[in-house]
Amino acid sequence: MQERLSFYKKRESAVHRLNPLSKLTLALGIVFVSFLSPYYWTPHLLILFAVIPLSLLGKVLREYINAMLRLILPTAGFLFIMQALFQPLEGVELFRFGFLHPTQESVLFAFANATRIVVMVSSFTIFLLTTHPNELMTDLTRRGLPGQFAYVIISTLQIIPQMQAKAQTIIAAQRSRGLDTESTFFKRAGSLIPLVGPLVFGSLVEVEERAIAIEARGFTSTRVKTSLNSIPDTNKDKLIRWSLIVIIIVTLASRIWLS
Amino acid sequence: MSIISENAVYFIIAVAIIVILLVWSYVTGRMRKDFSTTTWVLIPVAIAINIAIGQIVVTLKLPVFLDSIGTVLVAVVAGPWAGALTGTLSNIIWGATIDPNAFPWFPVAFFIGLVSGLMANAGWFKNWWKVAVTGFVVALASAIVSTPIAVYLYGGITASGSSFITAYLLQTGQGVVQAVLSTGFLVEPVDKITTAMLAFAIIQGLSKRFVARLPRPENAEVEGGASQTQLFIAIGVVILLVLFAAFMLGNILGG
Repeated sequence: MQERLSFYKKRESAVHRLNPLSKLTLALGIVFVSFLSPYYWTPHLLILFAVIPLSLLGKVLREYINAMLRLILPTAGFLFIMQALFQPLEGVELFRFGFLHPTQESVLFAFANATRIVVMVSSFTIFLLTTHPNELMTDLTRRGLPGQFAYVIISTLQIIPQMQAKAQTIIAAQRSRGLDTESTFFKRAGSLIPLVGPLVFGSLVEVEERAIAIEARGFTSTRVKTSLNSIPDTNKDKLIRWSLIVIIIVTLASRIWLS
Repeated sequence: MSIISENAVYFIIAVAIIVILLVWSYVTGRMRKDFSTTTWVLIPVAIAINIAIGQIVVTLKLPVFLDSIGTVLVAVVAGPWAGALTGTLSNIIWGATIDPNAFPWFPVAFFIGLVSGLMANAGWFKNWWKVAVTGFVVALASAIVSTPIAVYLYGGITASGSSFITAYLLQTGQGVVQAVLSTGFLVEPVDKITTAMLAFAIIQGLSKRFVARLPRPENAEVEGGASQTQLFIAIGVVILLVLFAAFMLGNILGG
């Protein structure tokens, strides 16, 4: 069972010190450029010259490689193999094995596609590793995101571990009174209701009390609320954001005119 | 190039319909009523329900996802927009905490919430067979919405197990869009009809007092009739829907 439900690693680094919105723009910018660029090698170069340097700069290279091995590479590898074998692209045939006949084109296509997915998931992972969700939400609320959204995100992150613990307790309790969770398909499907029921009704009971509690703390008040933590937003952050927006627009333009 | 521009037209039409619906519910004030404090508190719980049940299903090794029961629940009792928001945030949080691969699929979750909310408003969430139809319509919506994401982002074959069906259809000479869409039509209905029925069972089990405090208690009223008979009708409806889906698949693959 996970203790804390977030990828965040607390470090002292240039990436950690950036404003959360700048980091979000950076992550989205990398994704957009890798998907929109008309050049074949863009995603590969992005990994070498954007993703890996960023993880070094943010001192999260080890965690990033861990996530890479656990989440990213299995997905990307599966994608690469499936697409290389099954994309019906015409071209130079590499080999023939039964009904499989991958072509040079399909392998190249699969390679670019899998790399793009790697870039996308990597840039989100580095963003999550270096940004605390509370910081991001505080910053976005200060910029005008309604407080309710911040409440939903933050309280979900708190509820999920509790809920998972509750689910484990219910599974253990139902097993101890003899519920079959491991044999035939129909038995397993049948045991869904006694597991889901207590979990859902148990957690819905708390909803009403919590609604009254946060209403008493001025949840729906429209007054501007003050925040305990202030999040720095320097000129450097603004420069980074604007230059990323320019880069995205240039890539989009090159996509439209060059292809 | 002509195919891309045609799809862009569909995309713009879809966005326009959503914006019109959004403006309509905002202007009529229905939205303000739907997003009460209770709704805002219900949404995190529903997201946690999505994730917890998704994981129970993995533990039980069942061949479905069932990761949108909370979304459907909120959509029925608090309106389509609350449902759409629950779905979207659910995917974002799934991506931020468990697996970043979940991010790009958030439009699918958005539509699951929106469509089930609209169906519930139209009175299609009041007994077993109507719920089965709702589940089927939600499945169609999610198959249609996930197709462009799978095609443009992943090149057709995605990282899920059902890609083997897509791969097979590609080998038989189908176009990418047809192959992905028919895989969706094959896989989604089972999952979404089960989701809708479980959500209905949960709503039936809620106390009247609790439902009355939610923004749309009228959607959760259960129509009369012996539930045994209802269930048999529901099974009949599911069989009819499966035949209908098979007919549609034949059309897609044939044409």
